[in-house]
Amino acid sequence: MQEQIKQWLEQGDIDIFLGYKMIQGHPLPYCFTKENPDDLKDLIVGNARYSLEKMATKIAAEHKELKIGLLTRDCNQRALNVLYIWNQLNPENIKTIGVNCCPSNLKEHGDCSYLEPELIPPIKKMIGIDNNMQVKAAEQFNQKERFNRWMYEFQKCIKCYGCRDICPVCFCKECSLEHTDLIATGGIPPEVPIFHLVRAVHMGGRCIDCGLCEDACPVDIPLRLLYRKVNEIVTDIFDYTTGTRADQSPFNMLGEEVTLKPKPI
Amino acid sequence: MDFKIIPSTCSYCGTGCGVLFQVMDGRLVDTLPMKTHPVNQGRLCIKGWNLHEHVISEKRLKSPLIKKDGELQETTWDEAIKTAADGLKAVIKDHGPDSVAVLASAKITNEENYLVQKFARAVVGTNNVDHCARL
Repeated sequence: MQEQIKQWLEQGDIDIFLGYKMIQGHPLPYCFTKENPDDLKDLIVGNARYSLEKMATKIAAEHKELKIGLLTRDCNQRALNVLYIWNQLNPENIKTIGVNCCPSNLKEHGDCSYLEPELIPPIKKMIGIDNNMQVKAAEQFNQKERFNRWMYEFQKCIKCYGCRDICPVCFCKECSLEHTDLIATGGIPPEVPIFHLVRAVHMGGRCIDCGLCEDACPVDIPLRLLYRKVNEIVTDIFDYTTGTRADQSPFNMLGEEVTLKPKPI
Repeated sequence: MDFKIIPSTCSYCGTGCGVLFQVMDGRLVDTLPMKTHPVNQGRLCIKGWNLHEHVISEKRLKSPLIKKDGELQETTWDEAIKTAADGLKAVIKDHGPDSVAVLASAKITNEENYLVQKFARAVVGTNNVDHCARL
Protein backbone atom coordinates (compact mmCIF):
# COMPACT_ATOMS: atom_id res chain seq x y z
CA MET A 1 0.00 0.00 0.00
CA GLN A 2 2.79 2.42 0.98
CA GLU A 3 4.64 1.68 -2.27
CA GLN A 4 1.53 2.30 -4.35
CA ILE A 5 0.87 5.67 -2.70
CA LYS A 6 4.52 6.65 -2.98
CA GLN A 7 4.39 5.86 -6.69
CA TRP A 8 1.22 7.92 -7.13
CA LEU A 9 2.79 10.87 -5.34
CA GLU A 10 6.00 10.65 -7.36
CA GLN A 11 4.20 10.30 -10.69
CA GLY A 12 1.98 13.25 -9.86
CA ASP A 13 -1.22 11.17 -9.96
CA ILE A 14 -2.01 12.73 -6.61
CA ASP A 15 -0.63 15.81 -4.83
CA ILE A 16 -1.55 14.79 -1.27
CA PHE A 17 -2.74 11.62 0.43
CA LEU A 18 -5.06 11.60 3.43
CA GLY A 19 -4.49 8.61 5.69
CA TYR A 20 -3.72 7.94 9.32
CA LYS A 21 -0.59 8.14 11.43
CA MET A 22 0.14 7.41 15.09
CA ILE A 23 0.65 10.78 16.81
CA GLN A 24 1.13 11.04 20.59
CA GLY A 25 -0.31 7.53 20.96
CA HIS A 26 -3.47 8.30 18.99
CA PRO A 27 -4.31 7.18 15.47
CA LEU A 28 -4.97 10.55 13.82
CA PRO A 29 -5.70 11.68 10.28
CA TYR A 30 -2.53 12.77 8.52
CA CYS A 31 -1.85 14.52 5.26
CA PHE A 32 1.01 12.82 3.36
CA THR A 33 2.74 14.93 0.72
CA LYS A 34 5.22 14.35 -2.08
CA GLU A 35 7.68 16.65 -0.29
CA ASN A 36 7.97 14.15 2.57
CA PRO A 37 7.60 10.69 0.99
CA ASP A 38 9.44 9.07 3.92
CA ASP A 39 6.45 9.83 6.16
CA LEU A 40 4.60 7.08 4.32
CA LYS A 41 6.37 4.37 6.30
CA ASP A 42 4.28 5.56 9.28
CA LEU A 43 0.99 5.20 7.38
CA ILE A 44 -1.54 3.12 9.29
CA VAL A 45 -5.15 2.14 8.67
CA GLY A 46 -6.07 3.05 12.23
CA ASN A 47 -9.00 1.71 14.23
CA ALA A 48 -10.55 5.16 14.67
CA ARG A 49 -12.65 6.39 11.80
CA TYR A 50 -12.59 10.05 10.78
CA SER A 51 -14.31 11.61 7.84
CA LEU A 52 -11.31 11.99 5.53
CA GLU A 53 -13.67 12.84 2.67
CA LYS A 54 -14.99 15.84 4.62
CA MET A 55 -11.41 17.08 4.99
CA ALA A 56 -10.91 16.49 1.26
CA THR A 57 -14.06 18.53 0.55
CA LYS A 58 -12.73 21.42 2.62
CA ILE A 59 -9.33 21.26 0.91
CA ALA A 60 -10.90 20.99 -2.57
CA ALA A 61 -13.07 24.05 -1.87
CA GLU A 62 -9.93 26.16 -1.61
CA HIS A 63 -7.63 24.25 -3.95
CA LYS A 64 -9.85 23.24 -6.85
CA GLU A 65 -7.23 21.56 -9.02
CA LEU A 66 -5.48 19.65 -6.25
CA LYS A 67 -5.43 15.89 -6.75
CA ILE A 68 -6.26 14.13 -3.51
CA GLY A 69 -5.67 10.51 -2.51
CA LEU A 70 -7.70 8.94 0.27
CA LEU A 71 -7.73 5.86 2.44
CA THR A 72 -11.32 4.63 2.20
CA ARG A 73 -13.47 2.23 4.11
CA ASP A 74 -16.87 1.31 2.63
CA CYS A 75 -18.55 4.24 4.41
CA ASN A 76 -15.96 6.71 3.06
CA GLN A 77 -16.57 5.38 -0.43
CA ARG A 78 -20.34 5.81 -0.12
CA ALA A 79 -19.84 9.35 1.17
CA LEU A 80 -17.55 10.10 -1.78
CA ASN A 81 -20.26 8.91 -4.19
CA VAL A 82 -22.73 11.34 -2.63
CA LEU A 83 -20.17 14.19 -2.69
CA TYR A 84 -19.51 13.51 -6.42
CA ILE A 85 -23.24 13.66 -7.15
CA TRP A 86 -23.58 16.99 -5.38
CA ASN A 87 -20.48 18.47 -7.07
CA GLN A 88 -18.56 18.92 -3.84
CA LEU A 89 -15.69 16.84 -5.14
CA ASN A 90 -14.55 16.13 -8.67
CA PRO A 91 -14.12 12.35 -9.16
CA GLU A 92 -11.28 13.04 -11.62
CA ASN A 93 -9.23 14.60 -8.82
CA ILE A 94 -9.80 11.81 -6.29
CA LYS A 95 -7.95 8.52 -6.04
CA THR A 96 -8.76 6.00 -3.35
CA ILE A 97 -7.21 2.98 -1.68
CA GLY A 98 -9.81 0.72 -0.12
CA VAL A 99 -9.20 -0.88 3.27
CA ASN A 100 -11.12 -3.32 5.41
CA CYS A 101 -14.31 -2.04 6.93
CA CYS A 102 -16.14 -2.01 10.22
CA PRO A 103 -17.93 -5.15 11.35
CA SER A 104 -21.59 -5.05 10.36
CA ASN A 105 -24.45 -7.28 9.33
CA LEU A 106 -22.73 -7.67 6.00
CA LYS A 107 -19.17 -8.08 7.20
CA GLU A 108 -18.35 -10.06 10.30
CA HIS A 109 -14.70 -9.19 10.42
CA GLY A 110 -13.47 -5.64 10.30
CA ASP A 111 -10.47 -3.58 11.38
CA CYS A 112 -12.61 -0.78 12.74
CA SER A 113 -14.23 -1.58 16.04
CA TYR A 114 -16.36 1.54 16.33
CA LEU A 115 -19.69 0.10 15.34
CA GLU A 116 -19.70 -2.93 17.58
CA PRO A 117 -22.89 -2.72 19.64
CA GLU A 118 -22.42 -0.91 22.90
CA LEU A 119 -24.10 -1.96 26.11
CA ILE A 120 -27.40 -0.09 26.34
CA PRO A 121 -28.40 1.10 29.83
CA PRO A 122 -31.65 -0.51 31.14
CA ILE A 123 -33.42 2.87 31.46
CA LYS A 124 -32.94 3.49 27.74
CA LYS A 125 -34.42 0.09 26.92
CA MET A 126 -37.39 0.82 29.18
CA ILE A 127 -38.37 4.33 28.09
CA GLY A 128 -36.13 5.22 25.17
CA ILE A 129 -34.87 3.62 21.99
CA ASP A 130 -32.17 0.96 21.99
CA ASN A 131 -29.40 2.22 19.66
CA ASN A 132 -28.83 -1.30 18.33
CA MET A 133 -32.45 -1.71 17.25
CA GLN A 134 -33.38 -2.36 13.63
CA VAL A 135 -36.03 -0.25 11.88
CA LYS A 136 -38.50 -3.14 11.84
CA ALA A 137 -38.23 -3.69 15.59
CA ALA A 138 -38.61 0.01 16.36
CA GLU A 139 -41.81 0.07 14.31
CA GLN A 140 -43.36 -2.59 16.54
CA PHE A 141 -44.16 -0.04 19.27
CA ASN A 142 -47.64 1.44 18.94
CA GLN A 143 -47.77 5.01 17.72
CA LYS A 144 -48.14 6.68 21.12
CA GLU A 145 -45.38 4.67 22.74
CA ARG A 146 -43.10 5.17 19.77
CA PHE A 147 -43.65 8.94 19.94
CA ASN A 148 -42.96 9.02 23.69
CA ARG A 149 -39.82 6.95 23.33
CA TRP A 150 -38.44 9.15 20.56
CA MET A 151 -39.33 12.30 22.49
CA TYR A 152 -37.39 10.92 25.46
CA GLU A 153 -34.38 10.57 23.19
CA PHE A 154 -34.77 14.00 21.55
CA GLN A 155 -35.24 15.97 24.74
CA LYS A 156 -31.77 14.89 25.91
CA CYS A 157 -30.25 16.93 23.05
CA ILE A 158 -27.70 19.54 24.16
CA LYS A 159 -27.70 21.22 20.73
CA CYS A 160 -23.99 20.73 20.12
CA TYR A 161 -24.59 20.40 16.35
CA GLY A 162 -22.06 17.55 16.48
CA CYS A 163 -24.27 15.36 14.25
CA ARG A 164 -24.15 18.01 11.55
CA ASP A 165 -20.55 19.09 12.04
CA ILE A 166 -19.15 15.56 11.77
CA CYS A 167 -21.44 14.47 8.92
CA PRO A 168 -19.40 13.79 5.75
CA VAL A 169 -22.34 14.71 3.49
CA CYS A 170 -23.36 17.91 5.33
CA PHE A 171 -21.81 20.67 3.27
CA CYS A 172 -24.48 23.39 2.91
CA LYS A 173 -23.23 26.93 3.48
CA GLU A 174 -26.48 27.87 5.17
CA CYS A 175 -27.98 25.28 7.49
CA SER A 176 -31.71 25.05 8.25
CA LEU A 177 -30.84 24.07 11.81
CA GLU A 178 -29.45 27.57 12.33
CA HIS A 179 -32.31 29.35 10.58
CA THR A 180 -34.04 31.41 13.25
CA ASP A 181 -37.39 31.39 11.42
CA LEU A 182 -37.44 27.62 11.33
CA ILE A 183 -36.01 26.75 14.73
CA ALA A 184 -36.29 28.94 17.80
CA THR A 185 -33.02 29.89 19.47
CA GLY A 186 -31.94 30.36 23.05
CA GLY A 187 -33.09 27.14 24.68
CA ILE A 188 -31.83 23.68 25.53
CA PRO A 189 -33.09 21.22 24.48
CA PRO A 190 -33.73 22.80 21.08
CA GLU A 191 -37.28 22.68 19.77
CA VAL A 192 -38.07 18.96 19.79
CA PRO A 193 -38.85 17.01 17.74
CA ILE A 194 -38.63 19.59 14.93
CA PHE A 195 -34.87 20.14 15.27
CA HIS A 196 -34.13 16.45 14.76
CA LEU A 197 -36.83 15.90 12.19
CA VAL A 198 -35.60 18.78 10.01
CA ARG A 199 -32.21 17.16 9.98
CA ALA A 200 -33.74 13.73 9.37
CA VAL A 201 -35.66 14.99 6.33
CA HIS A 202 -32.50 16.54 4.93
CA MET A 203 -30.75 13.20 5.33
CA GLY A 204 -33.12 11.62 2.80
CA GLY A 205 -30.96 10.73 -0.20
CA ARG A 206 -27.88 12.04 1.59
CA CYS A 207 -27.23 9.80 4.60
CA ILE A 208 -24.84 6.98 3.80
CA ASP A 209 -25.30 5.23 7.16
CA CYS A 210 -21.72 5.69 8.35
CA GLY A 211 -22.79 6.15 11.98
CA LEU A 212 -20.41 9.04 12.68
CA CYS A 213 -23.28 11.24 13.93
CA GLU A 214 -24.42 8.73 16.52
CA ASP A 215 -20.80 8.20 17.48
CA ALA A 216 -20.36 11.94 18.07
CA CYS A 217 -23.64 12.39 19.96
CA PRO A 218 -22.88 13.16 23.63
CA VAL A 219 -26.33 11.89 24.69
CA ASP A 220 -26.59 8.76 22.50
CA ILE A 221 -29.65 9.71 20.44
CA PRO A 222 -30.22 6.80 18.00
CA LEU A 223 -29.75 9.03 14.94
CA ARG A 224 -28.58 6.23 12.72
CA LEU A 225 -31.84 4.37 13.18
CA LEU A 226 -33.83 7.52 12.41
CA TYR A 227 -31.91 8.25 9.20
CA ARG A 228 -32.13 4.58 8.17
CA LYS A 229 -35.90 4.87 8.28
CA VAL A 230 -35.79 8.06 6.19
CA ASN A 231 -33.61 6.38 3.59
CA GLU A 232 -35.79 3.29 3.59
CA ILE A 233 -38.58 5.57 2.35
CA VAL A 234 -36.23 6.98 -0.31
CA THR A 235 -35.39 3.46 -1.46
CA ASP A 236 -39.07 2.46 -1.51
CA ILE A 237 -40.17 5.45 -3.56
CA PHE A 238 -37.26 6.05 -5.91
CA ASP A 239 -35.55 2.67 -5.94
CA TYR A 240 -32.33 4.51 -5.02
CA THR A 241 -29.98 3.38 -2.30
CA THR A 242 -27.98 6.39 -1.17
CA GLY A 243 -24.24 6.19 -1.74
CA THR A 244 -24.25 3.14 -3.99
CA ARG A 245 -23.99 5.10 -7.22
CA ALA A 246 -21.88 8.08 -8.21
CA ASP A 247 -23.88 9.19 -11.25
CA GLN A 248 -27.12 10.78 -10.11
CA SER A 249 -29.56 11.02 -7.23
CA PRO A 250 -33.34 11.42 -7.62
CA PHE A 251 -32.95 14.56 -5.51
CA ASN A 252 -30.81 16.53 -7.94
CA MET A 253 -32.72 15.93 -11.15
CA LEU A 254 -34.61 18.97 -12.27
CA GLY A 255 -38.15 19.08 -13.68
CA GLU A 256 -38.35 17.39 -17.05
CA GLU A 257 -35.26 15.33 -16.52
CA VAL A 258 -37.04 13.21 -13.92
CA THR A 259 -37.69 9.80 -15.38
CA LEU A 260 -38.34 7.82 -12.24
CA LYS A 261 -41.98 7.22 -11.45
CA PRO A 262 -42.82 7.80 -7.79
CA LYS A 263 -44.52 4.84 -6.17
CA PRO A 264 -47.41 5.38 -3.74
CA ILE A 265 -46.30 5.23 -0.10
CA MET B 1 -0.92 23.39 -0.07
CA ASP B 2 -0.35 22.59 3.53
CA PHE B 3 -2.86 20.67 5.63
CA LYS B 4 -2.19 19.58 9.18
CA ILE B 5 -4.17 17.94 11.96
CA ILE B 6 -2.95 19.08 15.37
CA PRO B 7 -4.08 17.33 18.57
CA SER B 8 -4.80 19.57 21.53
CA THR B 9 -6.95 19.92 24.61
CA CYS B 10 -10.10 22.02 24.76
CA SER B 11 -9.50 25.16 26.78
CA TYR B 12 -13.11 26.12 27.46
CA CYS B 13 -13.57 24.29 30.77
CA GLY B 14 -11.80 21.99 33.19
CA THR B 15 -13.01 18.70 31.65
CA GLY B 16 -10.08 18.44 29.26
CA CYS B 17 -11.64 17.04 26.09
CA GLY B 18 -9.27 16.03 23.31
CA VAL B 19 -9.67 18.05 20.13
CA LEU B 20 -8.06 18.07 16.71
CA PHE B 21 -7.37 21.34 14.99
CA GLN B 22 -7.44 21.40 11.21
CA VAL B 23 -4.87 23.85 9.90
CA MET B 24 -4.91 24.73 6.21
CA ASP B 25 -2.14 26.89 4.73
CA GLY B 26 -1.25 28.12 8.22
CA ARG B 27 -4.83 29.11 9.06
CA LEU B 28 -6.86 27.40 11.76
CA VAL B 29 -10.02 26.34 9.92
CA ASP B 30 -11.89 23.78 12.01
CA THR B 31 -12.08 21.70 15.17
CA LEU B 32 -12.88 18.00 15.47
CA PRO B 33 -13.31 15.78 18.55
CA MET B 34 -10.53 13.24 19.09
CA LYS B 35 -12.08 9.78 18.79
CA THR B 36 -9.54 7.90 20.86
CA HIS B 37 -9.27 10.43 23.67
CA PRO B 38 -10.12 8.83 27.05
CA VAL B 39 -12.04 11.88 28.28
CA ASN B 40 -14.49 12.73 25.51
CA GLN B 41 -14.32 9.60 23.29
CA GLY B 42 -15.13 11.46 20.10
CA ARG B 43 -17.75 13.79 21.51
CA LEU B 44 -17.78 17.55 22.16
CA CYS B 45 -20.18 20.21 23.35
CA ILE B 46 -21.04 23.21 21.20
CA LYS B 47 -18.22 25.27 22.70
CA GLY B 48 -15.64 22.63 21.91
CA TRP B 49 -16.88 22.25 18.33
CA ASN B 50 -16.30 25.99 17.83
CA LEU B 51 -12.99 26.19 19.65
CA HIS B 52 -11.16 27.50 16.59
CA GLU B 53 -13.42 30.55 16.49
CA HIS B 54 -12.03 32.18 19.59
CA VAL B 55 -8.51 31.77 18.31
CA ILE B 56 -9.25 33.40 14.96
CA SER B 57 -11.79 35.91 16.33
CA GLU B 58 -11.36 39.51 15.23
CA LYS B 59 -12.46 40.60 18.68
CA ARG B 60 -9.41 38.97 20.24
CA LEU B 61 -7.13 41.44 22.06
CA LYS B 62 -3.61 41.62 20.70
CA SER B 63 -2.15 44.14 23.13
CA PRO B 64 -2.96 45.21 26.71
CA LEU B 65 -5.45 48.06 27.21
CA ILE B 66 -5.66 50.65 29.99
CA LYS B 67 -8.64 52.88 30.67
CA LYS B 68 -7.44 56.48 30.35
CA ASP B 69 -9.72 59.50 30.16
CA GLY B 70 -12.77 57.23 30.15
CA GLU B 71 -11.74 55.04 27.22
CA LEU B 72 -9.58 51.97 26.67
CA GLN B 73 -6.24 52.72 25.08
CA GLU B 74 -3.46 50.43 23.85
CA THR B 75 -0.40 50.33 26.06
CA THR B 76 2.77 48.36 26.83
CA TRP B 77 2.88 45.26 29.03
CA ASP B 78 5.16 47.00 31.55
CA GLU B 79 2.70 49.84 32.02
CA ALA B 80 -0.30 47.51 32.17
CA ILE B 81 1.26 45.29 34.82
CA LYS B 82 2.39 48.31 36.84
CA THR B 83 -1.12 49.80 36.73
CA ALA B 84 -2.68 46.50 37.87
CA ALA B 85 -0.11 46.08 40.66
CA ASP B 86 -0.59 49.66 41.91
CA GLY B 87 -4.37 49.17 41.91
CA LEU B 88 -4.13 45.91 43.87
CA LYS B 89 -1.64 47.40 46.36
CA ALA B 90 -3.92 50.37 47.00
CA VAL B 91 -6.96 48.11 47.62
CA ILE B 92 -4.99 45.81 49.95
CA LYS B 93 -3.60 48.80 51.87
CA ASP B 94 -7.02 50.40 52.35
CA HIS B 95 -9.25 47.36 52.88
CA GLY B 96 -7.00 44.41 53.78
CA PRO B 97 -5.98 41.34 51.72
CA ASP B 98 -9.38 39.60 52.05
CA SER B 99 -10.93 42.35 49.97
CA VAL B 100 -9.23 40.73 46.97
CA ALA B 101 -10.38 37.50 45.24
CA VAL B 102 -8.62 35.64 42.44
CA LEU B 103 -10.52 33.80 39.71
CA ALA B 104 -8.29 31.31 37.89
CA SER B 105 -8.89 30.30 34.29
CA ALA B 106 -9.50 27.11 32.34
CA LYS B 107 -7.71 28.63 29.39
CA ILE B 108 -4.32 28.53 31.10
CA THR B 109 -2.24 25.51 32.13
CA ASN B 110 -2.30 23.59 35.40
CA GLU B 111 1.07 25.08 36.31
CA GLU B 112 -0.10 28.61 35.63
CA ASN B 113 -3.19 27.98 37.75
CA TYR B 114 -0.88 26.81 40.55
CA LEU B 115 1.00 30.09 40.25
CA VAL B 116 -2.29 32.02 40.37
CA GLN B 117 -3.32 30.48 43.70
CA LYS B 118 0.24 30.88 45.00
CA PHE B 119 0.05 34.55 44.05
CA ALA B 120 -3.27 34.91 45.92
CA ARG B 121 -2.08 33.15 49.08
CA ALA B 122 1.59 34.17 49.30
CA VAL B 123 1.64 37.61 47.67
CA VAL B 124 -1.83 39.04 48.28
CA GLY B 125 -2.43 37.04 51.46
CA THR B 126 -5.98 35.76 50.91
CA ASN B 127 -7.66 32.37 50.51
CA ASN B 128 -10.25 33.82 48.13
CA VAL B 129 -9.36 31.61 45.18
CA ASP B 130 -11.83 30.13 42.72
CA HIS B 131 -11.87 28.82 39.17
CA CYS B 132 -14.04 29.71 36.20
CA ALA B 133 -14.83 26.04 35.49
CA ARG B 134 -16.51 25.81 38.91
CA LEU B 135 -18.94 28.68 38.36
